[in-house]
Amino acid sequence: MVKVFIYPATSLILSDMVARFGHEPLGSAIGIRERIQTPGFESPPLQITPEEPKKGLKWAAVEVPSGVRGRMAVYGPLIEEAEAAIIIKDPDYAFGCMGCARTNELIQFHLRNKGIPVLDVAYPTSDEEGVGFVAAVKEFLTGLKMEESA
Amino acid sequence: MAEYIPKYQGTVTKYVFVESPLLTAKDLAVRAYEISAGVMIKETCFGLQVTGTPEEVEPLIEAIREFDPTHIFIKDRGFPPGDERRCRANLGGARPGYLGHEFEMQRVRYISHGLERVARMDAEETGKAAARRPEEGRAHPLDLKKLKELIEAEEP
Amino acid sequence: MTEKVRIAQLSCGPEYSGVQKEIYDAASMVDAEVFFPDIALSDVQQGFSEFGLDVRSPDLKLAIARAKALVEGRIDADAVFIATCFRCAEAAIVRNELRRYIHENSALPVVSYSFTERTTSGTLLTRMEALTTIARRRALLAREVQEGITLGIDSGSSTTKAVVMKDNEIVGTGWLPTTEVLKSADGVVDLALQEAGLRLDDIEAIGTTGYGRYLIGKKFNAQLIQEELTVNSKGAVYLADRQHGPATVIDIGGMDNKAISVQDGIPGTFTMGGICAGASGRFLEMTAKRLGVDITELGPLAMKGMGNTVPMNSYCIVFGTQSLVNALAEGSAREDVAAAACHSVAEQVFEQQLQEVDIKEPVIMVGGTSLIQGLVRAMGELLQTEIVVPPHSQYIGSVGSALLASGYIRGE
Repeated sequence: MVKVFIYPATSLILSDMVARFGHEPLGSAIGIRERIQTPGFESPPLQITPEEPKKGLKWAAVEVPSGVRGRMAVYGPLIEEAEAAIIIKDPDYAFGCMGCARTNELIQFHLRNKGIPVLDVAYPTSDEEGVGFVAAVKEFLTGLKMEESA
Repeated sequence: MAEYIPKYQGTVTKYVFVESPLLTAKDLAVRAYEISAGVMIKETCFGLQVTGTPEEVEPLIEAIREFDPTHIFIKDRGFPPGDERRCRANLGGARPGYLGHEFEMQRVRYISHGLERVARMDAEETGKAAARRPEEGRAHPLDLKKLKELIEAEEP
Repeated sequence: MTEKVRIAQLSCGPEYSGVQKEIYDAASMVDAEVFFPDIALSDVQQGFSEFGLDVRSPDLKLAIARAKALVEGRIDADAVFIATCFRCAEAAIVRNELRRYIHENSALPVVSYSFTERTTSGTLLTRMEALTTIARRRALLAREVQEGITLGIDSGSSTTKAVVMKDNEIVGTGWLPTTEVLKSADGVVDLALQEAGLRLDDIEAIGTTGYGRYLIGKKFNAQLIQEELTVNSKGAVYLADRQHGPATVIDIGGMDNKAISVQDGIPGTFTMGGICAGASGRFLEMTAKRLGVDITELGPLAMKGMGNTVPMNSYCIVFGTQSLVNALAEGSAREDVAAAACHSVAEQVFEQQLQEVDIKEPVIMVGGTSLIQGLVRAMGELLQTEIVVPPHSQYIGSVGSALLASGYIRGE
């Protein structure tokens, strides 16, 4: 099983596909779950405390807005763990955890810079594209399995 | 600052979405309860949420997926079910992630179609189909068959 | 208990900066609740494209669409709070455009704020209080005439002021530097009562404002404890006799500055800054000290000087002081340095805050710094308008409090 970062990290479709084809999806839910289940100081709604943007300094400098650094504190560790990634290029309507375009640019940059296998794909807009989408994702994920066992 | 004591430590929560002509969210819930063996299940408008230890949840959601494999979609959730920080009733509206789901749920029928077709393909055919994956910036020609359907639908 | 004021939040980033709780806390302190306008995905897509500002961040698209839903009356709210990350250019553009859009197209009071991870509920409290006051107490703010005998106390960060008013006249004033909050308040109240020839027992209602408002309000059993944004706008239009129509109120305080866009005496949009001390009255105090003059002499001194001969324009009080020291070391005239300091403060306020409110004439300057003529002149030059400085402008908070407190005499 390979850890596959999904982008948008909130994607139901990608989360499902990665798990369906036998791998482990890394997305927002994993990062948020960790915070929601860790005791500490109360900071609703996401249990991201003011300390997190400081942790985010590892991935973005102090002049970068706090919202970017706070999000990177969630995604940075997941990117470090990731062994592969699937990127949907146009998540215009992925809100909340993926709501900041600057963070999203930085996440993609770090994923590409890591040298792990990355599949780029767009959301399907027809049945035919749905076939291409599923086939590409399946092929990519199957390939990861073969790499792993090799 | 107030101390935070988490609930449901050590559990995982999964969303189960269903978008099927044969299975409603309600049917899904009824069938899931039958095999849940005490694992916490909560019905939602789009399907279910399942919460428990990973050892409990994994086999259960795999069994649920088998009800309608190409029309059931599953993803992790960071929060336990009914958490008031994310609850619609407390926020005055949907949390932002809901709109993201709304967006993807408009697309899942294409995925369902893709899953059905790809399941019947061998590796070589899958590879050929994969080469035609949708990509950003690539024009999306209207499917001929779809066009024909549309034209025929217009007839009185 | 009154019904909670419902504040619609339009934002990008507070949950991820660890400050959403601070927003919730500030709202609950003033018996308000923050909510997120609920719209469907199709509303987001349509609202965002109709608004016409093509931003990339999905959360900003959501904020735009939510703003449209509020303006079009599809969602009910009493006030709007816009919050985005400090230092984000994309969000700053959206924040400003939404504030303007809501202000121009609805009667909803709106405040915008850019936060960092260090933003606390204390910082947000004054703004939230002003928002809820405007939403909840329009009747109170409609008062135009002071009645009976009332006392207003303004416990500011640098100075404490008190005013006794009787039958729509100011009959006593008191002014002292703030040392111990309660002691300074006692002192100014004594001074004001003495001048008025009255005793504390004669006072029919008391209002307090400023940083120390809760502490002194409790001590003096005040009927009205109110933040300075609404109180000062009320006081400003009252003293300037501009109670009807639009006005812009600028108050450069010792610690933070207020710029308020007022309509018929009620604030519509406002900003309250205070991150950098180079834009504060405190910098002028330091300048006076370094020049060896009393703060009251700084204004006349500056009027004799030419500000543009001395380079000084820092938002930071430390860097500003460096420029000051350098200029003096290079032999610049004290008058020119005084004028430059005034210009520098005016410029910082202009750049940091006045861009965020719509400047409508008359522009009324109030607070202690409005007595520094050099500063008023510099601000007038920047805004290219004649600035109005009403009589008793340094007592603005006290006058506003005394005026509004008179509404409590007959238990309004």
